[in-house]
Amino acid sequence: MARRQARAARLFIAPNLVAVAVFLVFPLGFSLYLSFQQWDMFGPIRFTGLGNFRRLLTSDPLFTIALRNTIVFTLGTLIPTVSISLVVAATLNRGVRGTGFFRTVMFLPLAISSVVMAVIWRFVFDTNNGLLNMMLGRLGIGPVPWLVDPRWAMVSVCLVSVWKSIPFATIVLLAAMQGVPADLYEAAKIDGAGAIRRFASITLPLIRGALSFVFVISIIDSVQAFDQIYVLTGGHGGPETGTYVFGIMIFQNAFAFGDAGYASAIAWLIFVVLLALTVAQLWFARKNSADR
Amino acid sequence: MTAAPARWRTRAFVRAGALYLALIAMAWCALLPILWALAGSVKKQSEVTTPTLIPRNPQWSNYRAVFAEMPFARMFLNTIVYAGCITAGQVFFCSLAGYAFARLRFPGRDVLFVAYLATLMVPLTVTVVPQFVLIRILGWTDTPWALIVPSVFGSAFGTYLMRQFFRTLPIELEEAAIIDGCSPWQVYRRVLLPNAKPAVMVLAVLTWVNVWNDFLWPLVMIQRQDISTVTLGLVWMQGQYVSNWPVLMAASMLILLPLLLIYALAQKAFVRGIALSGIGGR
Repeated sequence: MARRQARAARLFIAPNLVAVAVFLVFPLGFSLYLSFQQWDMFGPIRFTGLGNFRRLLTSDPLFTIALRNTIVFTLGTLIPTVSISLVVAATLNRGVRGTGFFRTVMFLPLAISSVVMAVIWRFVFDTNNGLLNMMLGRLGIGPVPWLVDPRWAMVSVCLVSVWKSIPFATIVLLAAMQGVPADLYEAAKIDGAGAIRRFASITLPLIRGALSFVFVISIIDSVQAFDQIYVLTGGHGGPETGTYVFGIMIFQNAFAFGDAGYASAIAWLIFVVLLALTVAQLWFARKNSADR
Repeated sequence: MTAAPARWRTRAFVRAGALYLALIAMAWCALLPILWALAGSVKKQSEVTTPTLIPRNPQWSNYRAVFAEMPFARMFLNTIVYAGCITAGQVFFCSLAGYAFARLRFPGRDVLFVAYLATLMVPLTVTVVPQFVLIRILGWTDTPWALIVPSVFGSAFGTYLMRQFFRTLPIELEEAAIIDGCSPWQVYRRVLLPNAKPAVMVLAVLTWVNVWNDFLWPLVMIQRQDISTVTLGLVWMQGQYVSNWPVLMAASMLILLPLLLIYALAQKAFVRGIALSGIGGR
């Protein structure tokens, strides 16, 4: 019986396991191997040891630019996303009549692919005919070169990413808020705590887990961002490298310059940093819950 | 004492009004770019410069133009075929493996499952180069196989999702079947799968949406228009018709529409699926 079960189980898992091994685990290992090699994807593979990493960290001026841009993009997305989602989730959590309708509308951006979204936003950002500049024009503010000026290009890319990531963050935060016991609010109300006070000293501490989860997911998403930046400002990192982030850097080195080893080195460096961040977050969350 | 309730009522009224105003403002912010694009898709090129949401005389010909300038019908069909194959494959292989992980005993099960979970952390940007090399070795570059095969046999995420769901089903459900002498396959096919509809829905919707929206992988794999996906087609079109906004917006709306329909039909499953998928870290 047990033998039969084990045989069936192996059979059931086999196709899935082979797919995960061939198309995920093997590439992962292979890219680690490649990060220590020099390879143009056609000729022979040459071992360079830490050469790729040395070049990356010491002699590639684009690395500093990509690092700075990625950090700016991550913060410029993370901070507005988290703060706006908190407000949106708290508003939806009031549970007034018709909330379901508003929730459906507000979560709509979830269904849109980042490519379609970016094309739509290019239309909104258009310097002459775009919606944003028309609205600003009415207020007497001159046309803003949204996607043309390097600085504004970064602002635009952040704006789009914030718009796209708010719904997901809101779902997670709203779910957590709905788990906060109502009698805590009642007790605080009787003690005379106002709405803001109740939010700060009951809601926020009790949704800390969800909040740190949103933080980590947002960071992972921003550091890997590619689709929307490629479509909004092109595969070269925008006007004067204004939106040259790591996602673009990996793509360019691999598929435009054919430098597979170098691209793998960049990818692994980022992966290791993200992994460390995630582990730190998990450890931190566990430590916090142990305190309580 | 008698005036107090009336004042409370006014205050409650004002508060509710402010709340609805805030909700409307938030919904408007989420919706405006989409509405603007929708309006743009039926405008004349000359009308694009006017800030109106309702065009004076809608130009439906923009939608016809989409199909004239690129083999968009073909691209839609391609994407439907890719998404259909991959969704069917994912649902079948992930539910099968998820059932094995949740309900069957075999040596090494827990170690293997933890390994599965760990692979959820791997971002596409890390593996895209060696995956590209692998596909080239297999000779599938610029063929539909490059898009279908890597995902059709299931994924770590789907298996994780199905396993979590199967574990919530009561064990009594299958006990009778086992006593009657059903094989594991029969238990899966007759008892567990029919009871897993919500999870299957979530997985199917998420998979379909992912394939429909995927960009980086088709971008590096596909060069031929006749086997391309719609998303890739849209980006090519953008490159060719740089500021022919009405036609570009019409194409965007056409790509958006099927997903909005799915979203409307499966909103609950979709939203829940996203909340669940967050657990995996992707």
